[in-house]
Amino acid sequence: MATFELYRRSTIGMCLTETLDEMVSNGVLSPEIAIQVLVQFDKSMTEALESQVKSKVSIKGHLHTYRFCDNVWTFILQDAIFKNEENQENVGRVKIVACDSKLLTQ
Amino acid sequence: MADQVLEGSQPVDLSKHPSGIVPTLHSVHDHGFNRHISCTSRNIVSTVNLDCKLDLKAIALQARNAEYNPKRFAAVIMRIREPKTTALIFASGKMVCTGAKSEQQSKLAARKYARIIQKLGFPAKFKDFKIQNIVGSCDVKFPIRLEGLAYSHGAFSSYEPELFPGLIYRMKQPKIVLLIFVSGKIVLTGAKVRDETYTAFENIYPVLTEFRKNQQWYEPDACTSIVIYKILGGR
Repeated sequence: MATFELYRRSTIGMCLTETLDEMVSNGVLSPEIAIQVLVQFDKSMTEALESQVKSKVSIKGHLHTYRFCDNVWTFILQDAIFKNEENQENVGRVKIVACDSKLLTQ
Repeated sequence: MADQVLEGSQPVDLSKHPSGIVPTLHSVHDHGFNRHISCTSRNIVSTVNLDCKLDLKAIALQARNAEYNPKRFAAVIMRIREPKTTALIFASGKMVCTGAKSEQQSKLAARKYARIIQKLGFPAKFKDFKIQNIVGSCDVKFPIRLEGLAYSHGAFSSYEPELFPGLIYRMKQPKIVLLIFVSGKIVLTGAKVRDETYTAFENIYPVLTEFRKNQQWYEPDACTSIVIYKILGGR
């Protein structure tokens, strides 16, 4: 199954990439294996978010900019409020990048 | 707003608007007949040729507030906030601008879109700008007998309340389509210039007064009480 490489830019994805880079440059890991690990990371992230995350968050803010191109929505919100069951957080500027996961299974 | 400056609260030119009502203008009026008419905003559709081939994907990726889904529609849909409008931008360089409230605002918006395209590196020009449609609306503030109107103006009217609650009146001179509702609210569309809207309204106004519905006052009395009593189970 194909996956998005969307989550490689998250903190956990960046850390993984950094570690893999280091291991490759130290000669501990071959570049091929490092890439395989990243592909597995993409799959695992998609799977984990789909099956293991139950919490819901609502995001509300003022839409500054939007874009829809290549089936990807991009939104920039100002003065957004992130809310879940327990608490809420105000954020000055948020960028949301959203892909349609249905496109992968087609 | 620009059109308020243009057409502000000047007295109504009765030679042009003998009904005393100017369609699609500002809020409440008193035309000396103690008749309060409120008119609401409208929509203007204009087109312009930017006269250069456009790479729509490049535009969608670089410009803000753009949508491009070639599978659904072969144009970039772009919006700006001032004047609040939407533009359809085609690869041929043709552009449609909708949503403006006046001709000037429509032209200003179209110019802003052309400027955005220029800033993205296309040699966009501003050729053959044209107002394609003006939509106006008005409220005569009295109910209208649509059946009667449809019957006596059968050649121009289409009234199918099961399909659409308004009467569709296709005026021949000027060539304007009017949607007339029981409530007295009127929508005028199909005009290329503002005066066509005004003329069409002045033409229809005497007809509307002719088919003015006499308000039937509904007063609950003993009879209705009995009916209600029976509906409730007659206990």
